[in-house]
Amino acid sequence: MSDHAASAAPPTRFPWANLAEILTPLLLALAAAGVVLAVAGHNPFEVYWLLAVESFGGTRRIAATLAASTPLILTGLATAVAFRAGAFNVGVEGCVFVGGLAAAWVGFSFTGLPAVALVPLALAAAVVVGAFWMLVPGLLKARLDVDEVVTTLMLNFIAISLTAYLVNGPLLAPGSANSATPMVAEAARLPKLMPPSTLNAGFLIAIALLVLYWWWSNRTALGFETRIAGTNPRFATASGIDVPSLIIRMMLLSGAIGGVAGGIHALGTVGRFVSGFSPGYGFTGIAVALLGRGSAIGILLAALLFGALTTSGATIQLFSDVPIEIVNILQGMVMIFAVARFGWIFARRRRA
Amino acid sequence: MIDNIIHAAVVMTTPVLLAALGGLVNRVAGLVNIGLDSMMLAGALVGLIVAAGAGSWSVALVAAALAGAVFGLLMSLTVTRLDANEIIVGLGFNIAVAGLVRFFLKTVYGSSGTLNLPDVARLPRFDIPVIQDMPVLGALLSGHDPLTWAAWLLVPLTAWVLKRTRLGLRLRAAGAAPQAARALGLSPLTLRDASTVFAGLMAGLAGAYLSIGVVGIFNEGITAGRGFIALAAFYFGRNRPWLTAACALLFGFFDALQIRLQGRGVPAELVQTLPYVMVIVVLTVMALAVRRSRTKGT
Repeated sequence: MSDHAASAAPPTRFPWANLAEILTPLLLALAAAGVVLAVAGHNPFEVYWLLAVESFGGTRRIAATLAASTPLILTGLATAVAFRAGAFNVGVEGCVFVGGLAAAWVGFSFTGLPAVALVPLALAAAVVVGAFWMLVPGLLKARLDVDEVVTTLMLNFIAISLTAYLVNGPLLAPGSANSATPMVAEAARLPKLMPPSTLNAGFLIAIALLVLYWWWSNRTALGFETRIAGTNPRFATASGIDVPSLIIRMMLLSGAIGGVAGGIHALGTVGRFVSGFSPGYGFTGIAVALLGRGSAIGILLAALLFGALTTSGATIQLFSDVPIEIVNILQGMVMIFAVARFGWIFARRRRA
Repeated sequence: MIDNIIHAAVVMTTPVLLAALGGLVNRVAGLVNIGLDSMMLAGALVGLIVAAGAGSWSVALVAAALAGAVFGLLMSLTVTRLDANEIIVGLGFNIAVAGLVRFFLKTVYGSSGTLNLPDVARLPRFDIPVIQDMPVLGALLSGHDPLTWAAWLLVPLTAWVLKRTRLGLRLRAAGAAPQAARALGLSPLTLRDASTVFAGLMAGLAGAYLSIGVVGIFNEGITAGRGFIALAAFYFGRNRPWLTAACALLFGFFDALQIRLQGRGVPAELVQTLPYVMVIVVLTVMALAVRRSRTKGT
């Protein structure tokens, strides 16, 4: 398991060097989804052109794309941090849920506080709860060698059900019939960057974290040690790196970033926590981390791509009769092709 | 009341048991199948459409099994021949197939998420004379459909095949010692593909059970994560068919109980987390036991 995780996070070289590696899964996914579109009687090229125009044609469309990319940058980052340490964390989705609920709770409970105190406090709550959510799988993986894939996957379902219980009972907005918390205080809302678009300060936080990640993974000793621990744990242990403790710390960091993703989604976009809070941001984050090959610029580009697909998918459904689900099909295909290796096909051809 | 819960528990066990047995064989042969849920969804949809179109539940079951098997084969080939990580491919299949199913529903039937067809051939239910009037036993044994019976008959059959037959030995070798298997002239990858096709087939049947056995319509959320519950069952059952079946029964009982308890003050959402919590607990306990035996040995 860990060698696969490590291969998803190769050392960051100059991005263009592995451009082909990044583009191959994307092109294959576009081709496969194109077949689906063609069978359904649509012209795939027209649909893709429409998607491109709807996501990048005009300031407003670009703002919508950036807003949709914000949670994906963060979940992609959260996944990449764990992958880099060789921990195959598929539990970021759960962190988005618990982090989002924690931030929303602070946001509607401490309404007397000014924005300078309330926003950091709410995001801090998301960080703590998100990190805490990854404590058990991190400890189990590092100390007892329990398969983190299974534990984190199971924790996703626990998080979704647990938060659904909380917003249906103890935290349900008074007088509300649907499962949602009260709206957070106005002071807890993240400032909008380009009203009326939902693009908010959360995007800037995501970019800042992305820059930090780049600096951390390329310029710090801890980032270097993490990479070694991820690619070759035995060598890392032999060089005196405490691999188990590193894994725990990176799992906590991964959970913290996942929690921030939920907090920003709650404070910036939704304004409260509702059941079905995340439409699979954590799972898309896995696709983002894989497609971006664990590099900061790659994660940004992949998140922009999936953000663009989400926002344009919603609008082309209005203008044409192409169902928005083409976006999910593309997303799943990218995940599948991003981990497939096509090297052997070329190798065999060369031999023949 | 108790009879009702017992009957519902048996009904809710069947889909989990079918998929779990498939996933178990798959895992024994060396592939952890995260995509079971997607194959279940495909089976549920195909099963309903064929049951309405052909008017025969047996044809519908064959079609649903085929649909699951096709997705199983695609998934397996991606993992074994393109050396892709099974977890990511499984998650990718769940996302892509869910998208494909909704895309198909909108394109062909113009409906969003739900498909209600006339004249669906439902699974028949067998009432056993005398027993059906007994308390508890009647609910346990009578009034069930052929798929439920098949699922339970497959438990000893799977145990026997894995333990006593040449095929079972080869499957176990493909999972536990692929290099040894290759040295003996077997192809572990092909065996693994075959086991994934079997898992897809079983998950397809499980899906059809939900659509033409339990509800009679198709809904995009019809599996309700049962593919993952099945995963929990064979993890919890540690790849042993009888233990896995016992877990499936336990989860089926939770499911039935949770439906009963809705609106009675017991939070259904918390009951739903139980299977997943149990998996984490059992993995922890097992790891602790391994460590204890290791420290004792040295």
